[in-house]
Amino acid sequence: MTASTRSTTELREPPRQASRETVISVRDLKVRYGERTVLDGVSLDILRGETMVILGGSGSGKTTLLRHMEGLERPAEGSVTVKGVDLATASRATLTALRRSMGVSFQSAAMFNSMTVGDNVALPLLEHSALAESTIQVMVRIKLQQVGLTHVEDLYPTQLSGGMRKRASLARALALDPEILFFDEPSAGLDPVIAAGLDDLILRLKAAYPITIVVVTHELASAFLIADRMCMINEGKILAVGTVDEIRSNPDPRVQQFIRREANEPSEASSSYIMGA
Amino acid sequence: MTLLESVGRFSIRQAEYIGRLAIQFWYCLRFSVRASPFKGRGLRWKRTLRQMGDIGVRSLPVLCLVSGATGMIMALQAGAELRRFGAMEAIVTMVGTTMTRELGPLMAAIVVIGRSGSAISAEVATMAVTEELDALRAMALDPIDFVLVPKYLAMLVMLPCLTVMSVFSGILAGGVFAYFTLDLTLLAYLSRTAEILLMRDIVSGLVKAVIFGSIIVHVSCLEGFTVSGGPVGVGHSTTSAVVKSIFLVVLADLLCTTFFYFFWR
Ligand SMILES: Nc1ncnc2c1ncn2[C@@H]1O[C@H](COP(=O)(O)OP(=O)(O)OP(=O)(O)O)[C@@H](O)[C@H]1O
Ligand SMILES: [Mg+2]
Repeated sequence: MTASTRSTTELREPPRQASRETVISVRDLKVRYGERTVLDGVSLDILRGETMVILGGSGSGKTTLLRHMEGLERPAEGSVTVKGVDLATASRATLTALRRSMGVSFQSAAMFNSMTVGDNVALPLLEHSALAESTIQVMVRIKLQQVGLTHVEDLYPTQLSGGMRKRASLARALALDPEILFFDEPSAGLDPVIAAGLDDLILRLKAAYPITIVVVTHELASAFLIADRMCMINEGKILAVGTVDEIRSNPDPRVQQFIRREANEPSEASSSYIMGA
Repeated sequence: MTLLESVGRFSIRQAEYIGRLAIQFWYCLRFSVRASPFKGRGLRWKRTLRQMGDIGVRSLPVLCLVSGATGMIMALQAGAELRRFGAMEAIVTMVGTTMTRELGPLMAAIVVIGRSGSAISAEVATMAVTEELDALRAMALDPIDFVLVPKYLAMLVMLPCLTVMSVFSGILAGGVFAYFTLDLTLLAYLSRTAEILLMRDIVSGLVKAVIFGSIIVHVSCLEGFTVSGGPVGVGHSTTSAVVKSIFLVVLADLLCTTFFYFFWR
């Protein structure tokens, strides 16, 4: 598997790697909402073509970090650089241009409720491509099929279930074949079969073209399957960054607690440790 | 000290608000150029047409009623005074000029604030709360371009049209009054109104309509864009859009009327 060979040859010291280009670089990012510090000096590099999975408990600041990488929030302290553009100082036009190469699927799906699902997926294509409308219709159907949705084009987002909306929003994020895909909680609200289908889709995307994927997830099984590297956030700080193997063998008890508690890796029969914790 | 502080804080907040409106207005003008029906797929143009239906056509019935009633009230009030001086004829001038210059545009603006201003801010605020605006940004579409511009262009076309209809219904109501009290046929009334109306009156009314329309759309959208506090915030932003729009429209009306009074006689 490509992920494991890559992980053994490089990334022994995760943040800096000369061999591969850094697409997103977060440096000392601090985010405060009022008195509350949500991110407290986060630094993270995401390399071209890799799939980075961000793990962390609820409310640990994963979505906040993602929103800063997407350029939806301007960093107040620290810096976020995407494809060489500093998001703190980028002009509105530069940001817009940058976003054409990004696909974003929100935690809340964020479908346009006044449009049908088909129009939602078609919108980026209509706005940013020169394709004929009939071609776009076909592409919309293909994108929806990719995420396992059929016959939903003419429904409104409110007529879908939460999981279907989530998948439709992924179809919309993929519409323009983005260079960088951000995916917040892909499997939340999905049944296991469909969640596995989405993992499959992400693996196929990785194999098909050099897409950079940043995924926030709670599902450890899925995380270990799709990730090239992972990072774990806790209380606004990055606890650990590394390849799948490195995270598995990370000595930090909080990391171990997190990955054991939810995953219960069959190889490690240490449930007593968890019960005691 | 505390008084000074609160005055200072108040001024800063107002200055900030005006600044935000100005920035939004500036971006809106820059994006408006792209709404040409011949550009791209004409998507923006189609959106603008749909907004025109929402803002214009559906406001018409209630606006005609409101303006008609206003014209009638004015004729009644003026008639009560003018009767004593035997100058009932002056009703034609009064109703005609006041409706055209002042009350026609104002009533149109107030009806549109109630119907469309509130709807616009509720729509935009809901989009903000449900992250739809973020989704637009994330797909490289500027919410000002995508959401505000079609509404603005539609308003620029529709509010002057509505103003014309509003003026017309007001004058017509005055005509009904004149028919019963002055023995003036409707046709004679209308032709006399046409005689006394100057280009100045008509232009100043339409200029006001354009200014009011800009205020309504920009204030309502800004309230929506800056909503905070989830679904409850949507209600607040709607209320505040209506209150601020009415206040600013009346203020602008005062400034316009003053301007026309001194500089264009
Ligand atoms: N706009 C905001 N205003 C105030 N506080 C916020 C805002 N956005 C996020 N927060 C706070 O920041 C913290 C982190 O939120 P965030 O959404 O990043 O968590 P998360 O890791 O994505 O959690 P989950 O797994 O539940 O989605 C939360 O405690 C939240 O209360
Ligand atoms: Mg989240």
